[in-house]
Amino acid sequence: MKNTVRELRGEHGWSQAEMAERLDVSRQTVNAIETGKYDPSLPLAFKIAALFGRPIESIFDPGE
Amino acid sequence: MPRFSEKAYRRRVWQAMTAYVGCMLLLWPQLHVVSGPVLKVALALLPVVPMLYLISLMWRRVRHSDELQQRTHLVALGVATMVVSALSLGAGFLAAAQVLVLRGDILIWVFPVILVCYDLTRWWVGRRYGVMGTCEEASRFPVYLRLLLAAAAIALGALAFRHQLGEHQFDAFLGVACVVAAAGVLAALVRWRSRQHHDGDAL
Repeated sequence: MKNTVRELRGEHGWSQAEMAERLDVSRQTVNAIETGKYDPSLPLAFKIAALFGRPIESIFDPGE
Repeated sequence: MPRFSEKAYRRRVWQAMTAYVGCMLLLWPQLHVVSGPVLKVALALLPVVPMLYLISLMWRRVRHSDELQQRTHLVALGVATMVVSALSLGAGFLAAAQVLVLRGDILIWVFPVILVCYDLTRWWVGRRYGVMGTCEEASRFPVYLRLLLAAAAIALGALAFRHQLGEHQFDAFLGVACVVAAAGVLAALVRWRSRQHHDGDAL
């Protein structure tokens, strides 16, 4: 699944560590999500969407 | 949920392991001189106490992890359980068929083998998610150095208490020191590879 988490984080000027703290996850988890190696659970995806104030489908794209 | 930091976990694991090695070096050899079944049972089971503490730490660590960490922990625990079960089953049948002679004290090695399998699998699963190392890598006293120092301490302790230990126990301690040293070398390699892969990932 593709996502725009890295771009949105960059827009907000947060480091991975700062974003991880806001989401109450580890920095490694943020990195795995950004690189597309890990697809977050629905609750975490909603948390990310709420953090950026955007609808979930504008951040996560299921692709093919 | 308050997070259980890797640093706090590692520190407590080292405390538990120090207590365990201390029990094995200082108190366990007294089993030969102690009389009375109650005291003997208490002394024999003493090293189990720090290991139970270690299990409780592992439980806390998994419980306070985030979802990706929980996934890697649980996959690693599952794989470790399956590997040790398969080994135990195979060895048990070989012993039952009298192809292999096994002493009862081999059961002491079940837990360490689970831990080694767990750590190796966690590292392997972590690679898939690009989580090859931990934040601990930034520590001034990294894990590989601690493992190498622990190996040296166990080997020196075994040498210092050689006369109190039986021949079998002395060999077991040297074996543990070698395994810990090997784990230290492995941790150093993982750290080196991880740094190569993740440079510039943080921002």
